[in-house]
Amino acid sequence: MKRGILFSGVSVLLFFTAFPFAWMIATAFKRSHEIFTTPPTLLPESLTLENVARLFEQTRFAVYLGNSVLVATCTVLLTLAIATPAAYALTRFRFRGREAISATVLFTYMFAPIMVIIPFYVLMRTLELTNTRAGLVLAYTAFCLPFALWLLRTFFQSIPLDLEEAALVDGASRPRAVLYVVLPLALPGVVATGTFTFILAWNDYIFARVLLAADELKTLPVGIADLYNASVVDWGMIMSAGMLVLLPVLAVFAFIQKYLVAGWGSGGIKG
Amino acid sequence: MKTIPSVAALLLAAAVSSAHAQKVIRVWHTETQPNSQEAVRNIAKRFEAKHPGVKVEVEALAWGDLEGKIMASLAAGTPPELSHGQPITCAALQSKGLLLPLDEVVQALGEANIWDQVKRVCRVDGRQYGLVHAAGTSLLIYRKDLAQKLGLKPPRTWADLVANAKAFTTGGMYGITIPGDNLFINILLGELLKANGGIFFDQQNRPQLGSKPMLETLEFIRDLTRYAPPGWEGHGYLETFTNLYGQKAAMMYQGYGRGAGLIEKGAPPAMANAEHFDVWVKPVGPSGREPAAQVDEEPWMLFKGSKNPKEAVEFLKFFYQKDNYLEYVQTVPIHLFPITKSLRADRDYQATPMIQRWKSWIEVQEGYLNNDQGKPTLVIDWDDMNSKPYLMEVLGSGILRDMVMDVALENKAPREAASRAQKRLEDLLKSKGYLK
Amino acid sequence: MTAARTGWLLVLPALLLLAALTVYPVAYGIWISFFSKHSFFPEQQFVGFGNYAAVLADEEFWRSLELGLIYSLTTIALQLAIGMGAALLLNEAFPGRGLARAISIFPYVVPTVVAVIIWKWLLNSQFGLVNYLLGIPISWMGRDWIMVSLIIVSVWQFFPFVLLAVLARLQTIPPELYEAATVDGAGAWRRFVHVTLPQLQSVLFVVVLLRSIWMFTKFDTPWLMIQGGGAETYIRTLPIYTYQRTFAYYEAGRGSAMAVIMFLMLVAAAALYFHFWRREEQL
Repeated sequence: MKRGILFSGVSVLLFFTAFPFAWMIATAFKRSHEIFTTPPTLLPESLTLENVARLFEQTRFAVYLGNSVLVATCTVLLTLAIATPAAYALTRFRFRGREAISATVLFTYMFAPIMVIIPFYVLMRTLELTNTRAGLVLAYTAFCLPFALWLLRTFFQSIPLDLEEAALVDGASRPRAVLYVVLPLALPGVVATGTFTFILAWNDYIFARVLLAADELKTLPVGIADLYNASVVDWGMIMSAGMLVLLPVLAVFAFIQKYLVAGWGSGGIKG
Repeated sequence: MKTIPSVAALLLAAAVSSAHAQKVIRVWHTETQPNSQEAVRNIAKRFEAKHPGVKVEVEALAWGDLEGKIMASLAAGTPPELSHGQPITCAALQSKGLLLPLDEVVQALGEANIWDQVKRVCRVDGRQYGLVHAAGTSLLIYRKDLAQKLGLKPPRTWADLVANAKAFTTGGMYGITIPGDNLFINILLGELLKANGGIFFDQQNRPQLGSKPMLETLEFIRDLTRYAPPGWEGHGYLETFTNLYGQKAAMMYQGYGRGAGLIEKGAPPAMANAEHFDVWVKPVGPSGREPAAQVDEEPWMLFKGSKNPKEAVEFLKFFYQKDNYLEYVQTVPIHLFPITKSLRADRDYQATPMIQRWKSWIEVQEGYLNNDQGKPTLVIDWDDMNSKPYLMEVLGSGILRDMVMDVALENKAPREAASRAQKRLEDLLKSKGYLK
Repeated sequence: MTAARTGWLLVLPALLLLAALTVYPVAYGIWISFFSKHSFFPEQQFVGFGNYAAVLADEEFWRSLELGLIYSLTTIALQLAIGMGAALLLNEAFPGRGLARAISIFPYVVPTVVAVIIWKWLLNSQFGLVNYLLGIPISWMGRDWIMVSLIIVSVWQFFPFVLLAVLARLQTIPPELYEAATVDGAGAWRRFVHVTLPQLQSVLFVVVLLRSIWMFTKFDTPWLMIQGGGAETYIRTLPIYTYQRTFAYYEAGRGSAMAVIMFLMLVAAAALYFHFWRREEQL
């Protein structure tokens, strides 16, 4: 790719993606009446931490953040634990009903989540899992599972069977073959799936809204929406909430960056 | 992988066991402002201290979410003990026998101590099925300084108001700002129709959208919104406030006492007072006789299927005790009017600094309430609350709002828009069995 | 243990969870669509296909379908274009690439609420930065532009989904394939068409399918746009209208019927999709 195209392309991309965040951060540090002046100022005239302070003093933002991290992480772990072996089985084993399972998985997604809400709530209520984070984790796992299965299946499919066969011929047991040969190759897929799952759980609004009641259990989307809808819209405070939401995300990405690096795929596939 | 089932089992067990430890009262309310939330939590904590073995779970919800949650909980057969709700919601629920009366709380407060207006909300067969948490009316807020400069008089008729709006509209400033969302358009329509002597439905539940008062109201809205900032249909309630103190608009038809707090926070410091932002009494329509305002007064509702209604009643009594109630209403003093005469007359309440600063706003609201000119959303006469339990669905359907938008935005003739809405409303009522 | 048994065992946890928490609610939803049921109260009355007939005769239904299609088709196309373009750019080696990748994914990672709030603020007609930079006072939340605003936010928020999936796949394409093509004299564009695209096929197949389903049934983003002010009538897509039928008109039966109709539409579209793009994909 020509350097010129690359440079301008990446610049435009980064501007499109990052500028709204930059604006959010600038607003988070502005004083209230500066936020409402025209013309708008790009950089705050006077930096202030009062919005962030108010966020932590007057609201339970820290609690919401903790809840979101906990729920999303548990969802990822549970989903991957269930979906990875299942996806592997779907591509490696022959058993009856294999095709039907895939079809059902896809079909369940086509029923709009919003319509599932009431029966879902009733079900959770029967299991006494409403107003618990565990219930929410189960709900998210169920919601993410079809997609995780589908995506992982694609990745497992792209790993040729020959590799495992070779390992088995060499005397390795199947679990070892999987652990040392297949999984490393599927790792970008597992990481990508984990990422998507994390984000689906992180972003959800409607399940958290309906299934959780107590304020101290709220996740970020619900907590922030409530701040936004509160009778006093404190833009400075809302923007600082948005800004702080990015921090755990930065941490997650610093971690997974390594696993999306090129080079994993090219290794052992020479025919 | 073996640990997962056991972890799940542990979580399940923990969830189940914690639910049975004490008596739990669930309280849902709609005062989402952080300081109001804190006040309710404080009251809850104090109640728990006095009643060991009782736990109060408080949740504050935004409007759109509350109704959905109430519904989900009713569907699951596990409603909360107490919840806020709109007056028409209360009426609808009561008509299905889902609420318990709150007469015990009324007695504890003293029946004569509660404002008459408040007692009319959700009162059926002499029993009180909803008790308003606090009342505040809608207000016509205007820029006093600009009005003085332009020599504008308080509007007595709708024509006056349009003329004032026109006069205000100059040099980047618009005459009026109105929220365009469904709830507020319905509120507006209700107020205006009442001020124009009209009704929404007759005794047989037939919609009266083609009537003269309604058509005049539609024309008025069309004429008035000519002086609203473009894109007003996308402005939410809070945005109309920012328009006001951000100096884009000079009047608000649907301000509320809460605005005083917003103005103090967001307007330039020199302007954040009642000298610059004052209220006029709302004008009267061509076919009407007296002004009308909407009252924002959600009643507390006690649900029949809940687990601990007795404790909930005790909680409500505690809530309205002077120290607790005072703390609560002081979180938004110009908006949260106490329902008890005793607290209104109380010296501590009167001495609240904000009340001192915005006295005229309080006086206009008291005027509406004392003269019975304030009603809940979509209610024209108090009777409607009990005889028309479908108002909740009418509000949610957006049919009335679509009608207003047809006239104000799509430039359809009022008669045409009204007849289309008439048909849709008739279909709605027929499908629910209210209209033959 | 036979291979088939092992297979079933590995799949079982997934199946159980799905059966309990997904299939049951869906089945209930379909069941209730044949009843007239007030959303609040337990009484229900069997009406057969009455709800379906009423839905198909409802002018608002067709209007929201139209809005929903405009919304989903436009956003899907844009998400694909921008996502793929971004993936191709970020697959190249350049200093700071790691950081650039991380930043490009940000929009997908913030909760929808935050994304909507940021853009509503940027697009605020009085105080927003966009109008200031453009110099014209566009009413982004008003009748003429709110669909555009919704599309902007949805594309911004979800293109990284495409980016991530495509980028991960691009990483696993053996460089030898490109080398071979270059040796054969293929330029950048031909390499893209003849090497990259075929390799991306299976990923794109899944991505387009999922994004289509999700954008067609998307509720959160338009709903949050409407809260706190937004000309709702003009972005009343099918999921929004379905929600209103259930939670505002309080007609659970009719709302469910609408959801079932949406479902059938998606099934039909998916069937066509698989028919034309199937190749090696098994259903």
